[in-house]
Amino acid sequence: MAAPLTLLLLVAVTVRAALFRSSLSELISERVEVVSPLTAWKRVIEGLALLDLGVSPYSGDVFHETPLTIYLFHFLVDYAEVTFMVSVAGSSVFSDYLFRKQKFALEADRYPLDCLELIRSPKEMYYIPLKVAMFYLLNPFTILSCVAKSTCGLNNAIIALFILSTIKGNVLLSAIFLSLATYQSIYPLTLSALLTSVPLSCLINLCVTQWICVFLFWWFIVQYAFMYLGSLFVIICLSFFLLGSWDYLPSVYGFILSVPDLTPNIGLFWYFFAEMFEHFRLFFLCVFQINVFFYTIPLSIKLKEHPVFLIFMQLAVISIFKSYPTVGDISLYMAFLPVWSHLHRFLRNIFLVSCVLLACSALFPVLWHLWIYAGSANSNFYYAITLLFNVAQILLVSDYFYAFLRREHHLTYGLYLKRKDGSEATLVLK
Amino acid sequence: MKIHHFLSLFSTYFLVDGVNIEDRAGQFFSSGHTNNWAVLVCTSRFWFNYRHVANTLSVYRSVKRLGIPDSHIVLMLADDMACNHRNPKPATVFSHKNMELNVYGDDVEVDYRGYEVTVENFLRILTGRLPPSTPRSKRLLSDDRSNILIYLTGHGGNGFLKFQDSEEISNVELADAFEQMWQKRRYNELLFIIDTCQGASMYERFYSPNLMALASSQVGEDSLSHQPDLAIGVHLMDRYTFYLLEFLEDIHPASKTNMNDLFKVCPKSQCVSTPGHRTDLFLRDPGSVLITDFFGSVRKVELTMETINLTDPIEQLESAESGELQKEMHTYADQLPVSEIIHQKPKQKDWHPPDGFILGLWTLILLVFFQTYGVKHLKHIF
Repeated sequence: MAAPLTLLLLVAVTVRAALFRSSLSELISERVEVVSPLTAWKRVIEGLALLDLGVSPYSGDVFHETPLTIYLFHFLVDYAEVTFMVSVAGSSVFSDYLFRKQKFALEADRYPLDCLELIRSPKEMYYIPLKVAMFYLLNPFTILSCVAKSTCGLNNAIIALFILSTIKGNVLLSAIFLSLATYQSIYPLTLSALLTSVPLSCLINLCVTQWICVFLFWWFIVQYAFMYLGSLFVIICLSFFLLGSWDYLPSVYGFILSVPDLTPNIGLFWYFFAEMFEHFRLFFLCVFQINVFFYTIPLSIKLKEHPVFLIFMQLAVISIFKSYPTVGDISLYMAFLPVWSHLHRFLRNIFLVSCVLLACSALFPVLWHLWIYAGSANSNFYYAITLLFNVAQILLVSDYFYAFLRREHHLTYGLYLKRKDGSEATLVLK
Repeated sequence: MKIHHFLSLFSTYFLVDGVNIEDRAGQFFSSGHTNNWAVLVCTSRFWFNYRHVANTLSVYRSVKRLGIPDSHIVLMLADDMACNHRNPKPATVFSHKNMELNVYGDDVEVDYRGYEVTVENFLRILTGRLPPSTPRSKRLLSDDRSNILIYLTGHGGNGFLKFQDSEEISNVELADAFEQMWQKRRYNELLFIIDTCQGASMYERFYSPNLMALASSQVGEDSLSHQPDLAIGVHLMDRYTFYLLEFLEDIHPASKTNMNDLFKVCPKSQCVSTPGHRTDLFLRDPGSVLITDFFGSVRKVELTMETINLTDPIEQLESAESGELQKEMHTYADQLPVSEIIHQKPKQKDWHPPDGFILGLWTLILLVFFQTYGVKHLKHIF
């Protein structure tokens, strides 16, 4: 397994290195779909230059990275390209490692006999880690965001580390990586809903009586929450000591939550807030931000036995509804798609979704050029494509959700459904 | 007029004998300016703003009469009243009732006319940032020994002056333009006169040295017009400029009237509004500044029969009261620090994260590492 992975890594590194050295890198690093005010490399350089001049980098609404990122890039600014490539390679290696180690409890006798074709054979599963790594490394979105040196790559690496440590069962590391991910951008907070589903599967063996079960469950949650909040607190205090001031709190978190910068991107916020009256701004800001966090509880209730799928859904929801999404966020959850390649027989809209996604990705630069440079289009055109892109993503995610649930249903009730009198029945989604 | 000249010369001659020739030479060379410029701007158009054009032309007339040539005057009129089709007496602009004084002779040279009078052009004239194709008559070619008179009239408000009924210049912009002029050494001393409603707000924001300002009304007051003429049908002049013109008509090139008299022009009884002035940025005492330092182009000529040895640097003549007043020396800012540029070292990265931070961070990382992977690795480190 190591050889194909190494080969893949080599190919990915070559592609990125070639693009770094070409003239496309400046072009790509200015594209609004790839970099956002939160993740742009230009702003990191600007912040570091301000720091060298003795001014706080958070003055003037240029720099919105966290102080730990300042510390990291202070030493690595000359080796930025290598850093990003390493982080991307690291994420893919982690996810590869993760899926190799994941144990799918296949208890064939639990399922009805005709479901054998639904269960994945070990041969299929052998190639999944490699496919995940390939999907992440060779995804054009990842390549673009790596060449643009957007710090999204670092965020993705931290989230991948978090997922790895959660699945491996290491509570402390998972709490630490989750707090790091939340510290970078607030939205991974929703991933903490995972902790309702993971302990159930871990602790199922220890449950002697029901009360002990409940107690252990809550004790675990308290432990985890304590570690998570503790490490978050420690990281925030440490960041205070880096620059000696609390300015980074409004600059980073205030910026993410209150969305003052309305540069067009592939998200949903900018157009609405550009044309909104001041009177209603707070209200709509709350609505939009709650939308990200809103799906956590229902999803975690429904998917409490399937933590990996829950992670996938949460990541997808975050990257669609966050305030400044970029294509780097999309590439993270798309890397998970090969894990559920067995669901392909239940997917209903996959052709439409893939066509729309491809078409929109091609149309983004076209309509941007028409709007900004040629002047013959306006922001409505670009926002229409943005909307369509997000609708396609939502459709993709909901399609996978439907397919997943349907497979679960079939696993419980059998693949070929029969009514009480023996005739064939069809499954209808209400 | 001529006898007055002769008499004044004569009196100077008699004064001469009492004073040392070197002191007089010092006094001769102590005057700061060598040339005079005037920028006269009328910012309103339309026939009912006849009085603003008449204001500007009156000041033009006085300034030209006192010696500033057309090549040193930039006259900006936003509309043409003399040839306006509503003018019952074409080719004239009157400033007195009953048509006593036509300020629009046949020797008026308007440099910026009609729609060329814009905020941008005005600021470009002041700062000198004109396109290379601009002719000399449209440029303010002043240097650091020029005394400039700037006269603005039109409709204004608190902090702004309206140009052409479509745009406005703010007091901050004006102050910054004057600062640019100071930094580019485009004036020695500058007199700013404004005749608009709430005119005093326009000089509130000045911060460059050697500026003296006069306005026709304070903030919150309107400047009123003087007389309507029933034959022409509009008001001919504004009150402040009317009395200013009356005052200037008595000035001749040799007169010794100083600025304190100018501040007394048009008191509240005549003007209804309260004229204001500002002299805190001006280095010399206003009592020692002659009207002709700004309104005229007076060449100092002293006749003497003695020879003066000019090898020693002439010391500045100190006035009697300079003992208490500490004159702050104003120098031009060092615009090009050449010595620093020549010896510039490459920029070092100055900022380093504090040691406590690095220590804390790496301790935490080590702790987490040992927590997850067991303490047995510890013996490999130590």
